[in-house]
Amino acid sequence: MLNKIWGGLILIGILFALGQDISDEIFNTHKNNIPRHYKHIPDLSVADTPTTLYIILTLNQTQLNATIKDDKHIFIQLDEQSPAFLRELATLNGNKNQLRATVVSIDHTHLGILLPELHWCKLRAVTQATFDMAKFAVKLAMGLIGIMALWLGLMQLAEKSGLIKPLVKLVQPLLHWLFPNIPKDHPAFGSISMNMAANILGLGNAATPLGIKAMQQLQSLNTDKNRASEEMCMFLALNTSSVQLLPPVTLIALMGTQISELMVPIILATSCSTIVAVSVAKFYARRNKNTLRRQT
Amino acid sequence: MQQLSTLIIPLLILFIIGYGLIKGIAVFEEFVDGAKDGFTIAVNIIPYLVAMLFAIAIFRASGALELILTLLTPLANFLGFPAEIIPMGIIRPLTGSGSVGVLAELINTHGEDSIIVKIAAVIFGSTETTLYVLAVYFGAVKIKNTAYAVQAGLMADFAGFVAAIIVTYWYFS
Repeated sequence: MLNKIWGGLILIGILFALGQDISDEIFNTHKNNIPRHYKHIPDLSVADTPTTLYIILTLNQTQLNATIKDDKHIFIQLDEQSPAFLRELATLNGNKNQLRATVVSIDHTHLGILLPELHWCKLRAVTQATFDMAKFAVKLAMGLIGIMALWLGLMQLAEKSGLIKPLVKLVQPLLHWLFPNIPKDHPAFGSISMNMAANILGLGNAATPLGIKAMQQLQSLNTDKNRASEEMCMFLALNTSSVQLLPPVTLIALMGTQISELMVPIILATSCSTIVAVSVAKFYARRNKNTLRRQT
Repeated sequence: MQQLSTLIIPLLILFIIGYGLIKGIAVFEEFVDGAKDGFTIAVNIIPYLVAMLFAIAIFRASGALELILTLLTPLANFLGFPAEIIPMGIIRPLTGSGSVGVLAELINTHGEDSIIVKIAAVIFGSTETTLYVLAVYFGAVKIKNTAYAVQAGLMADFAGFVAAIIVTYWYFS
């Protein structure tokens, strides 16, 4: 299933980008080789020279400083407020602050210019996104090192001092039902309950390291080290359905005071998704067991 | 609310260290011993994260999402919920930062009081970035065959999406 989703995302993405670029080429959506006409007025703050004219271009209500050299080439100065398509064109041609174009006609009020050609935009964006994300993945993982070390250290401390035992005792009946194959008093129960506690309290960055710790302990019980066990799937399902009472910190930051009236709907909706997650995981576990039995 | 969240972590750390000291544990040594795994785990995760993030990035950069949106809009109209929240439902399981962006944009265009933003916020709060969690958790233990974990996670997300719409409408009417 994951193979299909993963491959599907990539295939759909690239094929869609390709299709769009081909249709852009056929219908010339980027208006390549078609002159554009803009209004212009002389820039009076700078004196013209025989070969250079200083003008101000008006383009979609924004004004841009530009210089015309030898009545042939125009250099348009860009900044953060300039129209996005011009900035993009300029970046593609090597200088994001200045766009070079060809002048095809000029009179007292209007200027006709040919902008550089634009091809295969979507595919280029896809390529760029691929490299950016590959780099970002490493950055993300590196950012996890410290947080991970911190919570793993605290977790070990809490385990050794016996702080986790009472917590585990409290949730043992529920956990035993969710994870019937974990032996009683196995340390995995400790990590799982700590991970759940962190999730419930909305402590996203503590939940991940604690969850990983639990995953490692589940892996030590796993018979096939390459395939996710029943327990791992159940644990992952619980984590992706986000069992929580306090909303995540990012949501609090985005919604501000509005968050308090959303608490009840969030708890109700997240309970629904958790129930579905557990049921689906249980359903597949049972089905797997049945197929195994039939095979033997 | 915000105060509670900021208080929990320092109090938790105080409690863990304090309890360890009372019990006569070598707190520093135990902490360092537990923390040493942080690096290996993070490095193990990298291939999984690269695989997941770049596939999602290709999908998002291609603009295929807009196509799906146009295809699903009639369905949303037929079922009677605002089509504006569909991107949230699709992006949420894929990327965390992406879904923050979607929510921020909805707040910008519709305002915090609108039902659209409320539904989107409930979706955000009640589901997780399934593919990211999957990559991190299975990456840390080097599991390649994820069995049926994706199905369970995505169905939970879908249930969260549907439940968020129904519950929010019911709660604010």
